Amino acid sequence: MKIPLRLAKNKDLPSIGINHVAETNLCSQTLQLLDEYRAFTRSLSVMLENCTGCGACAKACHSYLGTGDFFNIPAARAGLLRRIFVRYFTWSGRIFGGFAGAGEIERGILDRWVEYFYQCNACRRCAVFCPFGIDTGEVVLAGRNILSRLGIVPSFMADIARNELTSGNNTGILEPAILDSCSFLEEELLEETGLQIKIPVDKPHTRILYLPSSSELFVNSDTLMAAAKVFHYLGLDWTLSSMLLEAANYGLLFDREVMKKHNGRIRAAASAVGAKKVLMGECGHGWRAARMYTEGANGPFPFQLQHILELVAECLPELRLTKLPIRATLHDPCNYGRGAGLVDGPRKIMRACVADLVEMTPNRDRNFCCGGGGGLLMDEMKQIRMQLGEKKAEQIRSLLPLDYIAVPCASCKAQFPLLIKHYGMGEVRTGGVIDLVGKSLDMRGSAVFAGREPNLT
Amino acid sequence: MEFFMGSVLPYGAFSVFLGGVLFRVSGWLRTPVPFQLTLFSVPRNRIGKICLIFSEVLLCRTLFRQDKLLWVWVWLFHLSLFMVIFGHLFGIFYLRDQFCLVGFRPEQSQVLSVFLGGIWGTLMALSLLALLYRRIFNLEVRRLSSPDSYFDLLLLLAITLTGIFMYAPGFHPELHDVRAYMAGLLLFDPIPLPRSPIFVAHFLLVSLLLLYFPFSRLVHLAGFLVIRLMLVEAPPEYPIPGHKRPRSIFTISKFQPEIPLFSKNSVKREGRSV
Ligand code: HEM
Ligand code: HEM
Ligand code: SF4
Ligand code: SF4
Repeated sequence: MKIPLRLAKNKDLPSIGINHVAETNLCSQTLQLLDEYRAFTRSLSVMLENCTGCGACAKACHSYLGTGDFFNIPAARAGLLRRIFVRYFTWSGRIFGGFAGAGEIERGILDRWVEYFYQCNACRRCAVFCPFGIDTGEVVLAGRNILSRLGIVPSFMADIARNELTSGNNTGILEPAILDSCSFLEEELLEETGLQIKIPVDKPHTRILYLPSSSELFVNSDTLMAAAKVFHYLGLDWTLSSMLLEAANYGLLFDREVMKKHNGRIRAAASAVGAKKVLMGECGHGWRAARMYTEGANGPFPFQLQHILELVAECLPELRLTKLPIRATLHDPCNYGRGAGLVDGPRKIMRACVADLVEMTPNRDRNFCCGGGGGLLMDEMKQIRMQLGEKKAEQIRSLLPLDYIAVPCASCKAQFPLLIKHYGMGEVRTGGVIDLVGKSLDMRGSAVFAGREPNLT
Repeated sequence: MEFFMGSVLPYGAFSVFLGGVLFRVSGWLRTPVPFQLTLFSVPRNRIGKICLIFSEVLLCRTLFRQDKLLWVWVWLFHLSLFMVIFGHLFGIFYLRDQFCLVGFRPEQSQVLSVFLGGIWGTLMALSLLALLYRRIFNLEVRRLSSPDSYFDLLLLLAITLTGIFMYAPGFHPELHDVRAYMAGLLLFDPIPLPRSPIFVAHFLLVSLLLLYFPFSRLVHLAGFLVIRLMLVEAPPEYPIPGHKRPRSIFTISKFQPEIPLFSKNSVKREGRSV
């Protein structure tokens, strides 16, 4: 199945540290990159060489279930890379060739890689159901890394990466705009609560650096405002940073050098404001990148690292919440459920905030991806994303009537409204988990109000 | 030729098997794991992790969860393989008197040994046939197969069938001779192969399996452990102290983030609003 993915132009690549590779060198360069990558990480060779082709992963992958395309079966998707890998880097492939499933490298295979590696959400659900634990998401990320180094990058990714590298956030907004937005949100908060709730930026000597998703300054501003309310309520000493106003790290999804650079900013930004703790906002792959990749990418990290949902879940006893009279469900973003193990916190919070919490089946670490993960949020891929989200839509339909779907991840927040509208459930509202806390929080219980010394942070 | 088949091939095959598997596994283990690939939810403590891995090895837990029918055949195959290999070790060494060790009389032990050997051998053949059937008639699985996927199954099936065939009257090799031959091999003093065509076929096929094993996906025997160990690794704990050993060269490789200078603007705004 051809996908309408737009690729970045050669001239745009150097700005994200990638060099264009001449058409004639593509094949030899691919092999060299593959060789480098297999020396870089154990996962690639083990996961490619041990698959017995049993097919158990087919039913686990929403991408295959939604599109019905054979090459979206995880083992077949990985197979596109396996063919080449086996041919050049294993004994069996070199000796037995096609008999062992090996295939010669040719230009056409790279197009297939682009097609199918960009129909995978790197959700890791296949790893949960493969008897050997083979994580096709890992293989896909390896494939995308190799493609990137060949100069084959979706323009969506390239643009975001450039923004991340130059301005420290996905949207590419610079400091004046950040300050403007924050002032605007502060006014909104004043109107809503009658309180002077601050959204500080670059405040020196602060204990907590908060990294929201940059979309929270505009589209998902409810989430940032709710977070500000909660911090204010708890009397936390926090700030945003203008040099890193982003939880996301798109490099994770296509190029490890970009990932490393952007990840390195966390430490720099935290040092700059003198923070002790870095608090990550609602962003799925961003939380995985921060929690699981910081050590491997940039080594020592002298700060605490916590997710806002974990912090709020811990502080629940301190918060005076009134349950909202709605029926809501929680979507576990893949990168929380399987990627970084954050499933209990959001549930605790939801139970405290809404009257009727219903669970999807399956949920937690077996949850289906919504189809928006893995950096596939580009406009041109919308039609395909709707197919990828079919399974999710089914899950939601079986829970109707619903008032609210909590999706504590910026990518899911972009995908969900489109998805439920596409499948005719446009009346259900979606948004973050923190948004709910913001709505049900009774600011009169605030520590700041009561003159209590906040004992948290 | 006789000499080659009886005295050279077995050693060669076994060395290739052992060396090949060790080489592949050590190749995997030498490569770094630059990032924790923890697949949540993982048990926190060591006991939990060990239980998880054992339930995978002994019961194929994941497969059971996903595909019950496939699980039946896969699990049955591995169980019968294990039983048959165990049966070989004891049956040949004790010449079928192994069950005397647990209190049976020799005649009973002989019957029991033949009976159990036959049962497990048959189950193994059946499960291999079922797996082969699935590979051929399930469209998805057929497209996921390469020729060697069939070859794995056919080779094992051939070994099993020749093994069972030895039970047929008239084809049965003297277990005495087999034992003497194996003893010769083990003591590095090989004697000629026993004179039984079926046994020789069985034996040659097993040698072929050993030769082929390290190159095929049957190394999942070790590979699955390598993967599982990556997936149950503990996630990093923050703060990460400076003296912790870097996970790979990727961690060490230098780069300086080009950080925009700390802006005066925003500080001023803070100053105003505090
Ligand atoms: C402790 C060791 C082992 C474990 C945990 C293990 C696990 C598994 C699992 C989970 C499967 C299911 C995947 C599938 O259906 O393809 C499988 C398949 C298989 N295994 Fe193993 N295995 C082990 C050792 C072995 C050994 C020693 C052999 C061969 C001599 C073997 C031969 C096979 C074969 C032939 C299949 C079927 C492949 C097919 O469907 O075509 N396994 N194994
Ligand atoms: C050096 C290795 C081996 C030798 C010398 C050997 C020898 C034999 C002999 C003598 C029998 C007949 C047993 C009897 O009549 O009591 C037999 C049966 C059998 N063999 Fe093997 N064998 C070997 C390896 C294997 C392997 C690796 C497999 C499986 C993958 C296998 C599968 C079978 C089966 C299924 C039977 C029939 C059922 C049974 O007796 O358990 N053999 N083998
Ligand atoms: S479940 Fe695992 S072993 Fe089976 S085909 Fe899929 S990736 Fe391969
Ligand atoms: S990571 Fe997710 S989308 Fe990708 S192959 Fe696996 S199950 Fe499918």
